[in-house]
Formats: sequence, structure tokens, C-alpha cells
Amino acid sequence: MGAAAENDDGRGRPRRFRLTIVDAAAILAAASAVFLSSLGAVDAAGEPRVVISDGQGGEWIYPLNQDREIEIPGPLGSTTIHIHSGVAIESSPCPNQTCVAAGSIERPGQWVACLPNQVFVRVEGGSDDESGVDTGTW
Amino acid sequence: MTNRASTPGPGEPRGRLLAFLSALCFFLSAVEYMIPKPLPFMRLGIANLPLLLAVDLLPFGPFLALAAIKVLGMSLVTGSLFSYVALFSLAGTLCAALVMYGTRTLFRARVSAVGISVLGAVSSNAVQVLLASFVVFGRAARIIAPVFLAMGLATGLALGFFAERFSASSRWYARARKDARG
Repeated sequence: MGAAAENDDGRGRPRRFRLTIVDAAAILAAASAVFLSSLGAVDAAGEPRVVISDGQGGEWIYPLNQDREIEIPGPLGSTTIHIHSGVAIESSPCPNQTCVAAGSIERPGQWVACLPNQVFVRVEGGSDDESGVDTGTW
Repeated sequence: MTNRASTPGPGEPRGRLLAFLSALCFFLSAVEYMIPKPLPFMRLGIANLPLLLAVDLLPFGPFLALAAIKVLGMSLVTGSLFSYVALFSLAGTLCAALVMYGTRTLFRARVSAVGISVLGAVSSNAVQVLLASFVVFGRAARIIAPVFLAMGLATGLALGFFAERFSASSRWYARARKDARG
């Protein structure tokens, strides 16, 4: 950065920008980190299920195909989770409501989280077909 | 950015440059907050642009101060200042700041804003995922890692290319840089 500002092409235009080897290495390293972190991140085998964790290490597992409403206690209060073919955080006592805005998830690897109230909801299983890990990554 | 009257120029004290870049952080935080995103957890990271430019403009101390001010601005705008969520912001930004400054110091002209930006963005997101796994979500945090790292790579690339273009064509930047070299 900056080098181009002083080295114009003689006609007052900035010199064309080229990636350096270090840039390329940085991008490659970042891409590998993305790839490696996606390996085995999601347990996609078995029946489709909803896994809910709280900040204290508690974990609840429910089938994805049965309608249900669940209250998970957190440091701010109670987070309401609604399972109905998909799963969504219906309400949460957090200030920013990002988790509610995230809407409904239903594919394995998808997740929705309420960071302030420490509730993490994810979908596992149900992906014995070809869709696999990458549907969750993107 | 070429208005001489309102932006820091040659011979002006470095404090004014820091103040200007800090104000830019506040402003871009507000802009970031307003932009609708396909995923609510997505961050564009445009508030990091002043930090990315400052790598070559500010000495280490003021650079770190700018990083801290950026966290303050972001937390004020999003309303997370007095919650532990601000800790995530602080950890991510401080890590990114150190990585960006370190990358420049280590590789000098052999790295461009693109490399610096990508490493900064990905390390910031990696630290936040790591923190999430220690503090809140435990092993479940593994699941958010790929999407956060990929997001860091994409936004880091975009911001890096923008910064590279900007620094190559902005007269304000050229003057500030000349000034920084003394």
C-alpha cells in the first residue's frame, strides 16, 4: 500500500496494482483455514435433529419433525425456540434481536445463536444424501 | 477526501490524523449497522478501513489507540458497549490490529493492503470463534467456524482491494503518508 501512490506511470495515473507473493500466501492460508475448519464440523449422519446448547454445557436434542416449543434459560432470561419442520428462535431477551432476525433453519449444519443470552441452536443429521457439509457452510 | 480545508494535511500534528481516522471509524460503524445483510451475523468490516489505512500512517501507539476507539464506536452504535459481547469485538479488533501491523512490519513492501486485510479479517474472526468456544458455546462453536472464516476471507479481500485502490488514487492519502514519513 502506498507504493503505488508515489510510482505513477508517468502520465499521472497510478501504476497497475498486482498481488504480491505474500498476498497470495495470505489468501491461500485463509482459504485453507476455511477448508480445514469445515472438515467434520457437522455431524450430518442419522435422523434430522435439533441440538440446543446453553452456555453452561447443557445440551438438549429434539427431533426436527415434531412441532414443539422450548424455553431455554440464559443469563438474561428465557429464550423461546420453536420447532416446526424448521427451527427458529422465536423470542429472546437480548438487546439486538439478531437471533430472532436470523429466522428459521432446517438443513444440517445450519445454526442460529443468541450470544447475549448464550443459547446456540443447530441442526444435525438428515443428510445421508449428497448435500452434506457444504450446505451448512454456505 | 481531497478537501484541504477539512482533512489533515502536511505539517499538521499526528493527533489530528488520529482524530480524523477515529471519526471515520465511528461513521463507518454507523454505515455498517445500516446496511441490510443476507445473514444477521454477517459483518462487512468496513469500519476496519481506517485501521487498514492507518497501518502506514500512524506509529504503533496511536495505531493501537485507533483500534480501541474503533471498538468503542462499534459498541456504541450497536448498543453492546456494556455487555460481554463488546469483549468479542475488543478481542477481534485487537488481534486484527496486531496481525495487520505485524504483517506490515515483517514484510514491508512485499505485502499489499490485500494481504494485510485478509490476515487481519480472518484472524479477527478466528479469535472471536475461539472466544465463543471458551466462553459460551464450547464445542458447538466449531460449527460457526467455517462460515465466519469464509466471511473474513471474502470481506477482507474486498476491503483490501478497496484500500489498495483508494491509497493509490487519493491525494489526501498521499499527503498523509508523506507526512507520516516525516
